[in-house]
Amino acid sequence: MMGNDTRDVITNIRKVAGCLLSLLAILFVYLSYIQVIESGFLAAHPLNRRNSEMASSIEHGMILDKNGKKLAYSKKNGNTFTREYPYGASVAHVVGYDSLKYGKAGIESTYSNYLTGMNSQLHHLGAISHLLSHQDGNNVMLTLDAALQEMAYRGLGDHRGAIVVMNPHTGAILAMVSKPSFNPNTLDQQWESISTAANSPLLNRSVEGLYPPGSILKVMMADEALTEKTMDLKQTIDCEGSLKIPPDYVLPEMGLHAYGKINMEEALTVSSNVFFGTLALNLGNKGMAKAFDRYGFLRPVGQDLQEAKSHLPDFNSLGNGDLAQTGIGQGSLLVTPLRMAMLASTFANKGIIMKPYIVDRITDADGDVVEKFKSEEWLTVTSPQLADAINKMMVSVVNNGTGKAAALSEFTVAGKTGTAENSQGDSHAWFIGFAPADNPQVVVAVIVENAGGGGSVAAPIARKILAQALH
Amino acid sequence: MTNIRRHERKLLLIAGVIMLNGILAVSVSQGVVNYSNIGIVCGLIAGFLLVNLVLHKARYNGDPIFLPLAASLIGIGLTTILRLKPELFALQAVWICIGLVVFLLSVFFSRKLEQVANFKYVCGFIGVSLLLLAILFGVDIGGHKSWVIIGPIRFQPSEFAKVFIVLFLAAYLSERRELLTLATRHYGPFVLPHPRFIAPLIAVWGIAMMMFILQRDMGAALLYFGIAIIMTYMVSGRFSYVIIGFVLFLIGSVICYKFYNHIQTRVDIWLNPWADPSGNAYQIVQSLFAFGSGGIMGSGLTYGSPGMIPEVHTDFIFAAIGEEMGFIGAGAVIIIYIIMVYRAFRVAMRSVMPFSMLVAGGLAVSMALQIFLIIGGVTKFFPLTGITLPFISYGGSSIIANFILLGMLFSISEVRSYDGE
Repeated sequence: MMGNDTRDVITNIRKVAGCLLSLLAILFVYLSYIQVIESGFLAAHPLNRRNSEMASSIEHGMILDKNGKKLAYSKKNGNTFTREYPYGASVAHVVGYDSLKYGKAGIESTYSNYLTGMNSQLHHLGAISHLLSHQDGNNVMLTLDAALQEMAYRGLGDHRGAIVVMNPHTGAILAMVSKPSFNPNTLDQQWESISTAANSPLLNRSVEGLYPPGSILKVMMADEALTEKTMDLKQTIDCEGSLKIPPDYVLPEMGLHAYGKINMEEALTVSSNVFFGTLALNLGNKGMAKAFDRYGFLRPVGQDLQEAKSHLPDFNSLGNGDLAQTGIGQGSLLVTPLRMAMLASTFANKGIIMKPYIVDRITDADGDVVEKFKSEEWLTVTSPQLADAINKMMVSVVNNGTGKAAALSEFTVAGKTGTAENSQGDSHAWFIGFAPADNPQVVVAVIVENAGGGGSVAAPIARKILAQALH
Repeated sequence: MTNIRRHERKLLLIAGVIMLNGILAVSVSQGVVNYSNIGIVCGLIAGFLLVNLVLHKARYNGDPIFLPLAASLIGIGLTTILRLKPELFALQAVWICIGLVVFLLSVFFSRKLEQVANFKYVCGFIGVSLLLLAILFGVDIGGHKSWVIIGPIRFQPSEFAKVFIVLFLAAYLSERRELLTLATRHYGPFVLPHPRFIAPLIAVWGIAMMMFILQRDMGAALLYFGIAIIMTYMVSGRFSYVIIGFVLFLIGSVICYKFYNHIQTRVDIWLNPWADPSGNAYQIVQSLFAFGSGGIMGSGLTYGSPGMIPEVHTDFIFAAIGEEMGFIGAGAVIIIYIIMVYRAFRVAMRSVMPFSMLVAGGLAVSMALQIFLIIGGVTKFFPLTGITLPFISYGGSSIIANFILLGMLFSISEVRSYDGE
């Protein structure tokens, strides 16, 4: 019976077995690919309803301001939880939202793992994680001061704009306002109109808005000229009503005002375009590129803040006219309000920019600290001596110059105004500054879109904020 | 008690622990311990041990691995069904009890397997009839037109058809073995098989294409066609037949793809499910999400959301295992199947009679292909098909048919060692 052909059949079956078993082994390997390598992508996919369903079934932690005031908390609603935002629109851009339909934004998004208590490492433990994790989420405590935030929000009135308030010595953000805003409590109902509105209420202008800085950039120009020694504190420039740049460009003074021979402090106090345009020309393309590099304009400030990248002119191909324009914060240069607060903080913190941060600590449900964020130096921009010199000039701006409307009776305020021309209409009103000038505690940057002069519109808002922050 | 059956009993006890452990885990995590469910499981374990005892008393000597492997899969399957559809748990247990009886009957009747060869055309007729029954009178239940309802009974004939088709092919091919290996016709450079040999192949091909078009089931078509082609190869050793067969299948498939919209949709879903993740590709995308969310360790029983996948307790049960037990659980299931398929092929290779050799080989092929097609389908390795996962999916037809298959393999393995003693 066991003929040759039977043995052939056995050989053939062996080959078939080899093939089919290999096929199943390939399937095993493929499954490991899906469940190990692709796992993260599939688990986090926006269409995967597991995340949102799980998230709504457990109580999220709270988002708190620096004084423990609730900015966001979960309210039980039958079997699921909904998010409540007591401060509504005023902190909406920072706190963000958590919608089953429209996803998450802000701290609700970037810290969602902490808020839900689902540490991603624990997740990989599978069933064991249910023994280790407690159902309560962690609380996220911000550096924001809710009262200051509300005040700043009201301060902008009906204008579009943004305000950033920082502690110059730590980088802690005390207030971050963007207007127009939206009410996160009714986001689902109003999503259609919010997401399509022409004035972009979802845009966080303080970090995502890109604006020409205008004259507030002159503080940086002053520091650059002093650092590069193309100018000293006593040197003067004869400022006639405008600066003629061959072949045919003319950079005019505001109102074609002729200031005569003025030094740097006087020039900053009156915000002379001719003076700072000349500084830019003296520095040249390379010098200007170096200045922006030194101030870290192309260096990201960290993921938490999701800042838009500044737009710098291409210094290699910049003509003299455009170079002078850049020197007074015009031209194609675009920056965020956060950057301008950081610029002001340089001269409030002896030449050092601290890394801006908004989350102070994470605590568990029992109040124990899970993580604490430390302030760190971000960039050393200039020497303490030069920082002090610019500080003094900025005091003169508020005491004697364009920034008078920011002056406080109890504290010396240092500042700089800006009136940035732009293609959208009226000029943007800017003010950056800090107080008290001899021992700065608060830095502020205010921009009011298409509202007119920095000295008349932005400086009074900054004054109120500084007064409240220091009281 | 013979050694072999004592080993089997020990392995069955381990499988019993898996089964009991799974049921307890689901009960505990749901906060209610349902004593009747635990009773059912203990009863099933006792049932397996009883089968072991009967095999011992009747001095059966077959492979001691098959039954414990099936019991392990059943344990995982029952646990998953209890978690997904508790109302079907007791019914599935009943099917398993019936399956155990059927297993013993299958073992008993398969001792006379050689005589079945005499009725090969009857087998072929039954097999084809069962398939045609499903093709022509199939009723759509849960997305598949593979159900036949006769009075109060409803079943899936295709589950049983494979056994008969394998028996028929084994008998037909083993009789014509010499003819097939030697007699070929040369057409220029092509070596084509003898017409008498290729006739049943073309018949199976035709049926497969009908299944493809009418039942929209490429997987089932490929399953039957694959069994026929591979069994032919086992006998003839000519790889060219396999090539010819698959070229034929490919031509048929391309024609179907061109002319039938639903087949186009199915292939397009497979090629790029992300083009329409909320529409046509919803099921497969949800299945992928389940596997991805499960990750390595799984979410833990009852902590996942496999309910998001439509038909999760039958076709997509493997995705539920992948989600809640993770790669560890799903990988273990594949490994159990690999061992089972390996043992089935081993039975074939150790068999003495060409007929039983081919039966065991054919059953092993059908098992391997079925597992590959369904697991490949739910993981998007292969276009999705509507076949069940042996011993795990819910369903009486599937459980009983697979116990028949297992009984035959057991019996064939037994004959060999019986002769050897």
